[in-house]
Amino acid sequence: MSQSNGNHDLFENLRLELRRGCLSLAVLSQLRTERYGYTLRKALAEQGLEIDEGTLYPLLRRLESQGLLTSEWREEEKRNKRFYRLSPEGKLMLKQLGAEWQKINSSLKEIL
Amino acid sequence: MELLDRYLHAIEFWLPKRQKQDIIAELSEDLRSQIEEKEAELGRKLQNEEVEAILKRCGAPLEVASRYRPQQYLIGPTLFPIYRFVLAVALIGCVVPRFLIWLVFLLVDPAHRGYLHIENMWATVLYFAFFTTVAFAIAERSGVKLEALNTWNPRKLPPVRDPNRISRFGSLFEIAAGVVVNVWFAGIFWPQPAVDFYGVRITIAPVWQVFFWSFLFLAVANVAIAGVNLFRPYWTPRRAGLRLLFDGIGAGLFCGLLKAHLLVGISASSIPAAKAIELTNLINTWIARMLPWAIVTMLVILSFDVYRILRLRCVHLHGGSIGPAVKDLSSPMVNGN
Repeated sequence: MSQSNGNHDLFENLRLELRRGCLSLAVLSQLRTERYGYTLRKALAEQGLEIDEGTLYPLLRRLESQGLLTSEWREEEKRNKRFYRLSPEGKLMLKQLGAEWQKINSSLKEIL
Repeated sequence: MELLDRYLHAIEFWLPKRQKQDIIAELSEDLRSQIEEKEAELGRKLQNEEVEAILKRCGAPLEVASRYRPQQYLIGPTLFPIYRFVLAVALIGCVVPRFLIWLVFLLVDPAHRGYLHIENMWATVLYFAFFTTVAFAIAERSGVKLEALNTWNPRKLPPVRDPNRISRFGSLFEIAAGVVVNVWFAGIFWPQPAVDFYGVRITIAPVWQVFFWSFLFLAVANVAIAGVNLFRPYWTPRRAGLRLLFDGIGAGLFCGLLKAHLLVGISASSIPAAKAIELTNLINTWIARMLPWAIVTMLVILSFDVYRILRLRCVHLHGGSIGPAVKDLSSPMVNGN
């Protein structure tokens, strides 16, 4: 029982580790068009990449502080929402990271 | 929405001051959107249990807030192993000897425990741990960079040392020191009822004969082991066991010697008879009082001997963890010398 719990915890840790790097890339790619947090989460979920709010918003802040995103508060449907989009640096970074991802992906395909 | 407001308020408490409002507004918007969407799906207002489920899925307030904070630590990952090492070495060095001394005094000579109170020891441990932690935390905050991290060179790293290898220098030293000390010991303390020492006549109890021959035998045996070690410079279970046996017998003899009241009398032309008797008793008493310290020292020596045997057993069971040890140990260990 505890062995199986231990394996499950280990799997969860490794899965989160694996996802962590991919999430930045996924978020950057989705912000080629302007979105606010909730719609961004839904867009990612629709494409099979669930991300909870506790992970997404700190990530958005980090990417913004790194100059890869820009944001602004705007009113929409009578509510204030913060809209994010890629900055010029973000576009360049997305291109580089995308190429890197393709390389890693094709290598892993070979390895696995 | 009362539950949601309480939840956001709880998160807000732990957030960085300057970003509080911004983060809460954004998180609030997201959670409200989730609730509204669910309400639209069900065609009714959500009940408290349903809102509670959404908030629980979002995470505990402290956990959610912590994701917005930069990683903070008192002692960082670079300094931490050094901190732990310093703390462990110093605490073991501080606690183990003091505890042993306290325990032995309690068992052997409780009347002279003096300052060795166990409470003092815990206070020392706490002070030491506190000041070590503070020193490392200050070093971390002041951004101390370890010079060794930038200037390290593989060629400057210490060579891999096999703990079961006996240095030839050590064996030679043991033999030389053993011979010199034994000759001196036999010359001075040859078992006779009295010894003249710089004009002072020291009368010794007859039981000294037993101690003398026993010590001499042990000393010769230890020189013999050192001689074997010189040519077969690896500890083997047999030799390590013999060393433990001889050290154990030596420890027992030495402790017996301290309690034996060996000094029967002292006489010298310059010392009055009454003073000589008083001096004799005083010396015997002080020698006996050294017993707890001797026991502690012997325990330390014997624990090293036991550790050596356990280490050898470990090498036998697991095939050794250090490359050269396994390779070099194979021949002498199989021979069992």
